[in-house]
Amino acid sequence: MLLERLGKELLFFDGGMGSLLQKEGLQPGESPENWNIEKKEIVRSIHRGYFEAGSDIVLANTFGANALKYHDQKYALKEIINAALENVRCAAQEANKEKYYAALDVGPTGQLLKPLGNLAFDDAYEAYKEVMVLGEQAGADLIHIETMSDAYEVKAAVLAAKENTSLPVFVTVVFDSKGKLLTGGDVPSVVALLEGLGVDALGINCGLGPEQMLPILNEIAKYTSLPIIVKPNAGLPKQKDGETYYDVAPGEFAKTMQEIVKNGACIIGGCCGTTPEHIRAMAEACKGMEIIKPTYKPYTMVSSYGKVVELGEVPVIIGERINPTGKKKFKEALKAHDLDYILKEAVAQEERGAHILDVNVGLPDIDEVAMMKEVVQELQSITNLPLQIDTVDAKALEAALRIYNGKPMVNSVSGKQESMDTVFPLVKKYGGVVVGLTLDETGIPETAEGRLAIAGKIIEEAKKYGIDKKDIVIDVLAMTISSEPQGAKTTLEALKLVREVYDVKTVLGVSNISFGLPTRSIINANFYTMAMQNGLSAGIINPSSEAMMNAYYSYCALMGYDENCQNYIERCGQMQADKPATSVNNQFDLKTVIIKGLKEEAHHITSELIKIEKPLDIINQYLIPALDEVGQGFEKGTVFLPQLLMSADAAKAAFEVLKEQMGNDAEAQSGKDKIVLATVKGDIHDIGKNIVKVLLENYSFEVIDLGKDVPPETIVEAVLKHDIKLIGLSALMTTTVVSMEETIKLLREKAPECKVMVGGAVLNQEYADMIDADFYGKDAMQSVYYAQKIFK
Amino acid sequence: MDTRTKEAVRYLGYGRHAIDERTFMLIQESFQELEKIADVKSIYRIFEISHLNANELKLGKMTVKSSSLCKNLKGCDLAILFGVTLGAEIDRRMRKYEITDIPKAVVFQASAAAFLEEHCDEIEEKMKNEFHQLGQYLRPRFSPGYGDFSILHQKEILEMLDAPKRIGLTMTDSFMMIPTKSVTAVIGVSKTNENCHKKGCEICSKTDCLYRRS
Repeated sequence: MLLERLGKELLFFDGGMGSLLQKEGLQPGESPENWNIEKKEIVRSIHRGYFEAGSDIVLANTFGANALKYHDQKYALKEIINAALENVRCAAQEANKEKYYAALDVGPTGQLLKPLGNLAFDDAYEAYKEVMVLGEQAGADLIHIETMSDAYEVKAAVLAAKENTSLPVFVTVVFDSKGKLLTGGDVPSVVALLEGLGVDALGINCGLGPEQMLPILNEIAKYTSLPIIVKPNAGLPKQKDGETYYDVAPGEFAKTMQEIVKNGACIIGGCCGTTPEHIRAMAEACKGMEIIKPTYKPYTMVSSYGKVVELGEVPVIIGERINPTGKKKFKEALKAHDLDYILKEAVAQEERGAHILDVNVGLPDIDEVAMMKEVVQELQSITNLPLQIDTVDAKALEAALRIYNGKPMVNSVSGKQESMDTVFPLVKKYGGVVVGLTLDETGIPETAEGRLAIAGKIIEEAKKYGIDKKDIVIDVLAMTISSEPQGAKTTLEALKLVREVYDVKTVLGVSNISFGLPTRSIINANFYTMAMQNGLSAGIINPSSEAMMNAYYSYCALMGYDENCQNYIERCGQMQADKPATSVNNQFDLKTVIIKGLKEEAHHITSELIKIEKPLDIINQYLIPALDEVGQGFEKGTVFLPQLLMSADAAKAAFEVLKEQMGNDAEAQSGKDKIVLATVKGDIHDIGKNIVKVLLENYSFEVIDLGKDVPPETIVEAVLKHDIKLIGLSALMTTTVVSMEETIKLLREKAPECKVMVGGAVLNQEYADMIDADFYGKDAMQSVYYAQKIFK
Repeated sequence: MDTRTKEAVRYLGYGRHAIDERTFMLIQESFQELEKIADVKSIYRIFEISHLNANELKLGKMTVKSSSLCKNLKGCDLAILFGVTLGAEIDRRMRKYEITDIPKAVVFQASAAAFLEEHCDEIEEKMKNEFHQLGQYLRPRFSPGYGDFSILHQKEILEMLDAPKRIGLTMTDSFMMIPTKSVTAVIGVSKTNENCHKKGCEICSKTDCLYRRS
């Protein structure tokens, strides 16, 4: 019934609860939820006040009632939630309100999710699931997820609601005056995420007063096709004597709320500082106002946690480099679980100008589901570019869609019935923009019309699931011209046709076109320009290719997409300036260059040197002496950490040149001494461990890096698996040294041969002895010396 | 050299030594970047203090056993609880540098710490002036982890400030604040102007510390 009224008439929410309870004596830090039982008269009288003032929807007093926030308390969650909803119903009865909706109020957990924090996505989901199931059982009419400032947490909450209840789901988040969430998301990225997840209404609450919410409301209204909720505070929070207060009076509040209705909100209410008087004034002022009915918005938006990329007029670049196909190094990195390699590839593409990154980690010998999940999460901890999940494994696709923070691209679905049956339900459930390949059971049609027909079939089939064509991007497929002379022409025709007939966005793996031809970048770049000219919305390309990026920037400048040709000038001005800089400073020898920490020079000089000297000689004559000198300087206090690391970086650049030259000397690789490094469970600062890693690698140890927040069991497992003689553990705080101690205990039991070195801000020799470590390293160099001693 | 650069240099372990030019440049670069991406948010609230005995006091509903905090708050009836964060983007950036450029990561993290201190000082100074007009004086800020003021109080402090909701400042199960570049502190309010300049670093008993402010 609620859903039938939604977006058709104006509905009134209630106002503040917490601020009123504080007035009644609730102490800072005390759980308001307990009052549902202990002071239910007060809670009921507040609800009643709102009903009498005209609220249609009243929130039960369950904001913090989740296992992560509400624990170690005297009442079970079930008791609290039952009592809270009962309070709403009693209040409605007391107010003689017949037609009303009791909402389960769901607020944030108060913790940040991984990878930023250390709350697992699944744990947040479980906590929300528990309260939502209880809420439905207790008779809630809807779930209102509110005051959220992290899009990722919102996703966990919405999934929990949709998967475990059949209640309508409303979501409101807190934007600051710049239109940003506390964790960085902007308005369109939140809209894209929530629409993708299929919520029933969305909007904004808390943080701002009605006046300040107007511009944000306008931005929401620009992007969303859903009914909009607006629940402001009674003004911006002010402080007097350390107490927070709000000073927009009911009359003024009501007046601005009229504006808010005129600007597109259709469910309105109040948040902190608002009272039944505010809601009464608002309801009286706004009653009978015509709402602006939600209208369809045609934008094709993909998002990350903080950013939206729109596929529209201006073409965008999808970086193709995170893909093992035809890349030996990448395959090796995947097999060795070297995530840093993949992450560096991502950063490089971002710096080169990619807007979206394709992610493909499929290899026959690896667990693609686990790897995809891990890579997606790691990528989202360092880049805010939206990702394109690229896999043929439905399980890997679902795992990635679930864990992804935002609305991703999905690569891909085809016109094959089986493919559509598998992919569309997932896209519908998690949200996403899906690439539709114009091929089906009969193969790839030779004609543009044939491909158009399959595009039509895909669009029609998606409709059955409620997936709109704005969330489908058609790939008409680029065929290799060396084997199909008409291939490019057909593709270009099909591009044009698909745009004209279906008005959908398009995508293309551009470089296929030149397979088997020499100097492929020339053909690729020209074809890329032609494709954009014929309506390509997003090219999947290599952003490190000069020719391709030149084509892209030229096209944008020529088509008037590049204001004042700014991007073009920036790029090409750079190219000219770059020319003379190719002469690298050669006045120093390799040893000096490494001591000075000059990375590029180290690379350059080593590349020259290797033509006349043997790799091993270079290592012994230049690299080792340089590292030793820097290390000793660090010991003596004449060289400092940043310098030590710059030298390490320069040495690494030199080693990389040598490694390439030495080729795949598998023996040299496997003969290395292996050391496991980990930041212990509960600890999420791993810069110290990463410094140690760089130095150990410099001294040619092989480091197996288990990352941060690593449970003792995982550490022991790795030690046993790789037959490890030395492990380094890092902990930053007194509270996490406990898990270090636990880890050592388990290691002693299961792997008594393994030596343990420890380090971290709060440790000292005494502490290290106490937790039974073999060695305490007061700085990063000490770990190198100890490792050398152990492996002597 | 400005104060924040000096602080960053100190965090990098240079002690009294002169800083090299490249690191100095990296520090300046980091500050520029921080100005751009930091989303500084702060919150404060005032609580009454009941002094229970020489090393125990009550701050609102929170009981603290700590002789160093008691000493710091001696003679104060009120205390300001205070939280500041530079926001989540800093952590993402730090993680990125740890993977792509470790010297930069180290310098960036030290600069972010100095940047945070600078903001804390600014906010503290502002409060000082406000309270001074009311005839009240502020003690130097004192954070969980200083002296014997247990870090375990972080949890209650964040709750009392409603910090997760208000400024996005949260804590892990192991009492680490996230975003990592964040501070909480207690600032005593007194009617008399006790001349105490001592701040966190100087009162620490670890006098041989490499990072000590000299």
